[in-house]
Amino acid sequence: MTAQTPTSAVTANTTRAGARGSGGVVLWTSAGFLVTVVLAAVFAPLVAPADPNAIDFGDIWAPPGADHWLGTDQMGRDLLSRVVHGARESLLGPLLLLLLASVLGVAMGTLAAWRRGWVDVLLARVTDVMYAFPGLLFVVLVIAVFGSGMTTAVVALGLAFTPIIAKFTRSVALAECAKPYIDAYRVQGVSGLVICLRYLIPNMAPALLGYLVVLFGEGLMSLATLSFLGFGAQPPSSEWGLMVQEGQSALIQGVLWPALVPGAAIALVVVAFNIVGVRVADRLNSRR
Amino acid sequence: MTPKEPALSVSGLRRAFPMGRGLPELVAVDDVSFELAPGGSLGVVGESGSGKSTVARMLVGLERADAGEIRVAGRARGVRERGRAARLRRAREVQLVFQNPLESLDRRLTAAQCLCHVLRLHGADRAGADRRALELLEQVGLGAREAEARPHRLSGGQRQRLAIARALAADPSVLVLDEAVSALDVSVQAQILRLLSRIREESGVSLVFVSHDLAVVGQVTDEVLVMYRGRAVEHGPTRRVLREPEHPYTRMLASSVPGPGWDPAEVVRLRAEFAAASEV
Repeated sequence: MTAQTPTSAVTANTTRAGARGSGGVVLWTSAGFLVTVVLAAVFAPLVAPADPNAIDFGDIWAPPGADHWLGTDQMGRDLLSRVVHGARESLLGPLLLLLLASVLGVAMGTLAAWRRGWVDVLLARVTDVMYAFPGLLFVVLVIAVFGSGMTTAVVALGLAFTPIIAKFTRSVALAECAKPYIDAYRVQGVSGLVICLRYLIPNMAPALLGYLVVLFGEGLMSLATLSFLGFGAQPPSSEWGLMVQEGQSALIQGVLWPALVPGAAIALVVVAFNIVGVRVADRLNSRR
Repeated sequence: MTPKEPALSVSGLRRAFPMGRGLPELVAVDDVSFELAPGGSLGVVGESGSGKSTVARMLVGLERADAGEIRVAGRARGVRERGRAARLRRAREVQLVFQNPLESLDRRLTAAQCLCHVLRLHGADRAGADRRALELLEQVGLGAREAEARPHRLSGGQRQRLAIARALAADPSVLVLDEAVSALDVSVQAQILRLLSRIREESGVSLVFVSHDLAVVGQVTDEVLVMYRGRAVEHGPTRRVLREPEHPYTRMLASSVPGPGWDPAEVVRLRAEFAAASEV
C-alpha cells in the first residue's frame, strides 16, 4: 500500500495540473488550508476552545452546536479541541518519518547513481525486496518485534518509505549526473563526495521536494492507519487515526461526528498536500 | 623542464568500447599520437563518430585510455592516482570547455560564484578569489552585471565566455575545447575564437581545439590532426593541410567548407569517391 500509491498520485495529479495550468484558486486554497492547519497545531492550546481530555459523561455524542462546535465523543470530550490538539501528533509524525526516510533514501539513491556498478546493483536488490513486501505488512512486522507506540511506528514507516525515496532519487540523480556540469566539477578536481553533497543534491532538491510533499500526505495516512489499527498512537492521545478508531462505536450507534471529524481532517490534509506537492514540483522544475 | 619540452605529448592513445556479448568491440580511438608545444594550438578535426571527443575526454581524464600515454610538461597523467593533491594537480594540467555552455554550468551559481568555487578549491583565500574572479570575467569580456547573473540569464556567447573563464580559473597549462563554438551562431563564434587567440597570446596556455568544422579550426590553430574512424589520417601545419590536403578524407572535409567558389556537387563527388576508396 505505502509502496505503490505515491507514484500513481503524482502522475494523476500532474496531468490534471497540466490541464488547468499552474497556480490558481485550487493551489492557493490548498496552501492556505495547510498553513491554517499547521498554525492551529502550533498554537493548539490557544486555538482549542476546551481541554481535549476533559471528560463529561453527562454530554456524550453531542451533535455540533454552540457549546461544542463539532460535537463530542463517547466520553463527552470536545471534538474540535481534540482534532486541533491531535494535529500536532498527526503532522509531526509524518514529518519525522519523512526526515528519516529522506536522509536514508537520498543518500542511498545518490550513492547508487554516482557509483553505479555493484553498489547500484546491491541497492536495487535491497529496494526490490523492500518493494516486494506490502509496506504496511513490513511495518506491522517491525511493531510486532519492538512493540506498539508512535516512536516505533514512525521509525518503521520511515524505513518502509526509504526505498521509495531511494528509487526516485536514483532516477533523478542519474539524469543529473549525465549533464556536463557534473563532469566539469570532476575536471576541476572536486572530490566525488563534495560534488554529491554540495552540487548534485542541491540541484536535485526541486524535484525531490515536490515528491516529498506528496509523500507527506502518504505518510500521514499510513501513520493514521497504524494508529487506527492500534499500533501507533495510544489513548488518551487524540491522534486522528486513533480518533477515527474510537469513533467506530459511535458509528455503530448511528452517530456520525466522532469518526467523521478526524476522518475528514485526514482526507482534506492529504488531498491538500498532494495538490501543493505536485504544483510545487511543477513550478520548481519549470524554473530550471 | 627544458624549454623544448612539449606542453602536451600523447603517444599511442587507444580506447575501445565493448558493444555487448558476441559483438566485436568498437575502437573509438586507435593509436593516436601528437605533440603540442607550450603556447601552441592544435586542432583535432573529424566528423561525428571519428573519436575526437573521446580523445578530448581522455586528455582531461573523464575517460580512461586502454593504452598509450598522455604527458603534460613531461609528466605522465596517471589516471589511478588518488588523493586531493593529485586531483588538484591534474586539474591544473588540463582543463576542458564543453560543447553545451548551458548544461556545463551549474544553474544554481552566479558567474562570480562559479569562478570563486574553482579558485577557492585551488587554494585562493576569499578576498583573493573574489578579486581574481572579476579579473577572469574581465579577461573574457564579461562585466560586473554578468558577474551576478545565473547561467539562464546569460546569452549563449556569454555562457561560453563564462565556461572559458571557469576553465582558466584553475590556471591550466593546456586548455581542451570540445566543440566549444559549435552551439553558437557564426558572429558569436568569431568573437569567441578571437577571444581564445587573445587568451593564448596573453597567458601562454596551449589549446587543443576539437571540432568538426575545418573553417573554425583554420582560424585558431597552428597545427591540425585529422581523425577518421578513430585513426589520425593526416597531421600537419593547419595552413598546409587546408590548402593542400593529402589524405582523400581531408580533401573531402576541406571541400565541405562553404566559401567563395564552393560547389556542393563537388562535395558529393568527393564523398562518393572517398567512400568507394575506403570500401576496398
